[in-house]
Amino acid sequence: MKRKGMGLVGLFLFMAIPLVMAGNIPKDTLVMAMNTEIFKTFDPGVCFEVEPSAFVKNIYANLVTLDIKDGAFTPVGDLAEKWEQSADGKLWTFYLKKGVKFANGDPVKASDVEYSYKRAVKLNKSPAWLFTDTLGLTEDSIKAVNDTTVTITTNGAPANVVLSVLAANIGGVLNEKEVKAHETNGDMGLAWLTDHSAGAGPYVLKEWKRKTQIALTVNKNYYGDTPAIKTILLRDMPEASDRYLSLKKGDVDVAYQITVEEAAGLRDNKDESVQLFTTPGQTLEYVAMNASWGPFKDARVRQAVKYAIDYDAIINKVREGFAIKNQQFLAIGYFGYKESNPFTRDVAKAKKLLADAGYPNGFEVEIVTNESEIRRAEAVVVQSNLADIGIKSNIIIMQAAQMYDKYRNQGLQMIVAGWGIDYPDADALAKPFADYTVKQLAWRNAWLDDKAASMASAAGKEINEKKRAQIYYDLVKYWQDNGPFAMMYQPIEFWGIGNDIKGFDKAFDGYNVHCDFTLISK
Amino acid sequence: MELGSFIIKRLALMVLVIFGVLIIVFIVTRIIPADPVGAILGGNAPPATVDAMRHQLGLDKPIFAQLLDYLGGLLRGDLGTSLVSSRPVLTDILEFLPATIELAVSSIIFAVVLGIILGLLSAVFRNHFIDHFSRVFSILGISLPGFWLGLILILIFYYKLGWLPSGGQYDMFLFPTRTTGLILLDAMIHGEWNVFWNGIKHLILPTFILGYSSTASIARIMRASMLDVLHQNYIRTARAKGLPRKMVILRHALKNALIPVITIIGLEFGSLLSGAVLTETIFAWPGLGRYIVNSLLTLDYPAVSGGTIFIALIYSVVNLAVDILYAAVDPRMRS
Repeated sequence: MKRKGMGLVGLFLFMAIPLVMAGNIPKDTLVMAMNTEIFKTFDPGVCFEVEPSAFVKNIYANLVTLDIKDGAFTPVGDLAEKWEQSADGKLWTFYLKKGVKFANGDPVKASDVEYSYKRAVKLNKSPAWLFTDTLGLTEDSIKAVNDTTVTITTNGAPANVVLSVLAANIGGVLNEKEVKAHETNGDMGLAWLTDHSAGAGPYVLKEWKRKTQIALTVNKNYYGDTPAIKTILLRDMPEASDRYLSLKKGDVDVAYQITVEEAAGLRDNKDESVQLFTTPGQTLEYVAMNASWGPFKDARVRQAVKYAIDYDAIINKVREGFAIKNQQFLAIGYFGYKESNPFTRDVAKAKKLLADAGYPNGFEVEIVTNESEIRRAEAVVVQSNLADIGIKSNIIIMQAAQMYDKYRNQGLQMIVAGWGIDYPDADALAKPFADYTVKQLAWRNAWLDDKAASMASAAGKEINEKKRAQIYYDLVKYWQDNGPFAMMYQPIEFWGIGNDIKGFDKAFDGYNVHCDFTLISK
Repeated sequence: MELGSFIIKRLALMVLVIFGVLIIVFIVTRIIPADPVGAILGGNAPPATVDAMRHQLGLDKPIFAQLLDYLGGLLRGDLGTSLVSSRPVLTDILEFLPATIELAVSSIIFAVVLGIILGLLSAVFRNHFIDHFSRVFSILGISLPGFWLGLILILIFYYKLGWLPSGGQYDMFLFPTRTTGLILLDAMIHGEWNVFWNGIKHLILPTFILGYSSTASIARIMRASMLDVLHQNYIRTARAKGLPRKMVILRHALKNALIPVITIIGLEFGSLLSGAVLTETIFAWPGLGRYIVNSLLTLDYPAVSGGTIFIALIYSVVNLAVDILYAAVDPRMRS
């Protein structure tokens, strides 16, 4: 009896040992929770995934960075104090700020910029096409003139395109000396930089324990103001409900990827301990039709589908209102954007268009989407909408590996999908959606329209901003009338954050494109 | 057959099984109509980038050439490089395997101890309260979905009561010293007792969830086996000779009743190692199960093959150990 009693006391004492994490986060530490499976590397020349990009951006300084002014992304100097563009628009000269140091204390020199950019081109990893295809860079295009001056020769892409690409992760400047010291078999530091850092940004990668947590600490040699948050811990929590409960319990400050239902709950039922932050996402969600497949060859059938879809139901029911109606390929706040939403659900009009095209009794089609819960729900709404105009559709759920394989080979009839924007310029949207020659979305949906392709290409080269904006305006109209895309919306991204967090709105305004952890405090 | 030649024969069979698993996994992952490079690069990458990476990874070679490359690497102890993490697959596996072993071992210990006790009590006190309780407990263990029960327990013990953590192996402000990768063992080696106790707390819920269905299986087998033994003549004889009931059960019946339980323990341990994916996901446990499933979703061929070989190897070794134990206990098995 005595032994049993002691056992119970022991158990009680054990349970009473406080958890270190229980709602006791220091003021200078920010704890975030996310499913970190998406993290593959912290190498700025390789990392191209959305959420990881935001973290890499806070570790590396670039020549320029993007600020948000009047709702638009605006390039401002980061390592560069100023820059010049030649008359033909091809030669760029950047002058570096003096006295800037890397995290380990080494000075930042123009030769580091040259090394970093040449390395990105040579490695030819996922984001390399931004340098090679969009800007036309080769290894010979980048030259350090002296310690503080570097020149870059581009293909003449518009200024906003050049500066946006240089502000992306791939433009992160590495400490050449430190990277070279960690090379293995001539890999240019590829293996080491996966989970180490050698940058001049506000934070340093302290530890990446895979599937457990990522720790960033402040860079003591950062040239800018010292951030209030000295340590950032990103906890791996694969389950959305886990992240939500931990946030409500005060064990994390920021919960990424909560469900739309949880976000709607936070929005609609005010909680004293937790707040919801939203910002327009840098993606577009669409339904696409293969223009070389059966009935979709006829633009009137494609128009019928565009009029059949209940965009409001998708935005208000599936996304719980966390989306902005946007029926063009340009995202809100981007160069050339003017609101244009010509499609609303009109079953009679859709039926007439189908009948005019010779399909009064509809037809049968396959809708493919991936395993995302939201996309599956969207596909179901589209299926029901199409049934109303006589089109019978079957939904097929595919894993990304399978879906992209077929999609890239023009092998799908219809798809519900999304497009993440690679750099914040209209060119990053017009070309994929309208120019089949770049072999992205227009190509995958077999919309081989030379007029649209040449307009997108011309706008991508036009230096005169007024003329450029007019081309995009005309292209949007032509694309809406003839293209194979029913653009549904631009998502609103959301995070659950603790009530004591300040500055999150400014830090995350612009999502992954402009994500600045130094603006956060408690 | 001698025990030695029996073991040699089983070892040879084990090598064949693993080779068979390897070939099947290799072929199946490559013939399904999907493109791992597309999944890795995402939807935006232009075709030239996709082709360049495919070439870089050797995926544009004929399947037979890829198989020969892989087998050649395997003979040198090289499981290839993960397409996703860009690290050697062996490095990845050795990073995630300890967490899975730690969880599987704690779960099997929990399941064996509780399962045997419940099965034994259930048989001895047949149709009493303890028997009914044990049977309901077993049925629930087998039928309740682990992911649902896991979330409910997190809600109660983490969110409402605050007694236990929701997930992970240890708290975020701890940075344990690592030697073996097994958190508890490393904490003991380095005398980091705060990490040790913290690790134990983090193990409780996942251990219960992962071990619950095994506990139920073991308890059911144990009950049936014990009931069978208790009706044997030698037990009746022992009782007739006037031996106390407790002694008859513990010294005469239990040993014989455990024989079929050994087999089920081996099988359960194998399934705990390979079937921990859901538990690892719910409790953010950094184990091999999540690694293999994520590799499957992105068609990371080398990682899938490497992970499967490891699981097959562990499964085979455990089964071999069970067979040897069985053969040692029961000579009829050697024939």
